[in-house]
Amino acid sequence: MILRNYRQWMATGLLIALFVFAPLYLNQYPYQMAVITGAFFYAILASSWSLLAGTAGQFSFAHMALMAIGAYTSGLLGRDLGTSPLTGILLGTLLAGIVGLIIGLLCLRLRGAYLALFTIAFSEILRIFLLTEYNYTDGSNGLKLAPLYAGITARAEYYITLALLLGTLAFMYWLINSRFGLFIRAMREDEDAAAAMGVNVVRYKVLIFVITSLIIGLAGGVFYHQVGIITPNTIELLQMSLIVAMAVIGGMENLFGAAIGAIISRIALELLREINILGLHVELGAWRYAAFGLVLIFTLRFAQNGLLYPIIDRLFLRQIRQATVAKRIPKGGQNGSA
Amino acid sequence: MVQLEVRDVHKSFGGMHALNGVTFNVHGNELIGLIGPNGAGKTTLTNVLDGVHKPSRGEVWFNEQRIDGLPPYEIARRGIGRTFQVTRAFRRMTVLENMMVPAMALHPTARQRDFHSRAMEVLTFLTIEHLANEYARSLSGGQQKLLELGRVLMLDPQLIILDEPFAGVHPKLRDTICQFITTVHAQGKAFIIISHEMETIFSLSQRLLVLNFGQLIADGPPQQVRADPVVIEAYLGREEETETLSGEEEHDEHGK
Repeated sequence: MILRNYRQWMATGLLIALFVFAPLYLNQYPYQMAVITGAFFYAILASSWSLLAGTAGQFSFAHMALMAIGAYTSGLLGRDLGTSPLTGILLGTLLAGIVGLIIGLLCLRLRGAYLALFTIAFSEILRIFLLTEYNYTDGSNGLKLAPLYAGITARAEYYITLALLLGTLAFMYWLINSRFGLFIRAMREDEDAAAAMGVNVVRYKVLIFVITSLIIGLAGGVFYHQVGIITPNTIELLQMSLIVAMAVIGGMENLFGAAIGAIISRIALELLREINILGLHVELGAWRYAAFGLVLIFTLRFAQNGLLYPIIDRLFLRQIRQATVAKRIPKGGQNGSA
Repeated sequence: MVQLEVRDVHKSFGGMHALNGVTFNVHGNELIGLIGPNGAGKTTLTNVLDGVHKPSRGEVWFNEQRIDGLPPYEIARRGIGRTFQVTRAFRRMTVLENMMVPAMALHPTARQRDFHSRAMEVLTFLTIEHLANEYARSLSGGQQKLLELGRVLMLDPQLIILDEPFAGVHPKLRDTICQFITTVHAQGKAFIIISHEMETIFSLSQRLLVLNFGQLIADGPPQQVRADPVVIEAYLGREEETETLSGEEEHDEHGK
């Protein structure tokens, strides 16, 4: 990661330290620790979706489906062939990448709403397949997955998921600030203009699908081996909508915004299950999603870059804008001819 | 030395023939104006040249290599750069990042900082160097046009196709664009410029191509094209409007 000043180091360091040391306190609250572990998983999904949709402009709704491919592959291989979780996760990640490649190739000429509809259809087909082929997938009962290793603790799961989140964030951040990032952003802005400037749009469009599919396939495998069971409901549209909403609230064009937005949203959704207002105990149940929806509407109406984006922009992006491409312009510009 | 050969190019969209047997050559750093009424096929021809459209029939050769059917990025890398009728800057990227896209695409192993001074030179020449770190979306329409010109120059093409570079721009900016074209042309680049600005295109071009209903109806020096009765009739339709082709009507409009 390229951190360019003390504020960025401080902010990143503090945030990482907070999450690293949180289990010291959370050890006595296993449920809360599991919620935060889940929040890390959602952060991987939301940030990788922000890379795909926010940075590369590919509005895919197959994200949860590709994640589930990673998890189901690993679970099925473990159940039927007795492979270890590690081997299963690697093969699941690979298969998610291959399916991502196929989707990327099939969607080359699809943009905007057409791409969204295509990927929704793909997700629904997969969900129905998982439901109906219960002889293989255990249908709505859910497929059981073995733990990552025997005797794994909640604390270990927490750290594994946190490491996965930090690793994937670092990788995606590097990617965005590389030549690859420059090209996918140009592609997002205008595919035809990018192609006219020498960018092989087809290659980068397919690559971004493959890369994000590999990331979420890996995350899906690792996380659901911790949860122990995965059901077809995981990939229903509501779940995908949650990922989109988390990314939008955090800042769709920003990895860190999307990740932090996902963590805050996931924890908030848990806190909103039951609330006490002036001594009155209220169980919100499904209404918490309505509250979440209100936040989303507010974000879309008043803060289209996300609620966290202004802070992140100040801490990270302003300097990067000025320094990634070049140095500051000397006062008075430079003389020269074209 | 640029060598472009367009051989009997046809392009149809369903039953509509946008290009109908267009043939012409470009040799060396010619400065060519491409004119014609709306719907004549000018932009379609541009799109065929840069690979957006594959011709239905015919061939396009560039520097002795056949390029029709190649994808746009490949044609761009071989030395044909273009701008668009409606400006298409990468709006949520900075001006410098816009400039870096073609440079990086053309040089797979280079780093962005290798092209910083070149990008700044071009931006200075285009008088927008002070906007280098601004998002392209915050630029005015005219500044975005200049950025697009700068961006195409970063591709270091041998042939530059400009689609309506003077459309809707302030006269002062038009002068800047004209200066850009003449300076870059003097450095050895060939140009094909599509424009409806008759006065400007007639004074700027060394050679004019006139398209009408997908057919090339004239090809020659501006003075010859201006006097060509076929062009006058086909392009203007009515004899009394001949003056417009010579730019006199525009003189009147501007009160000159």
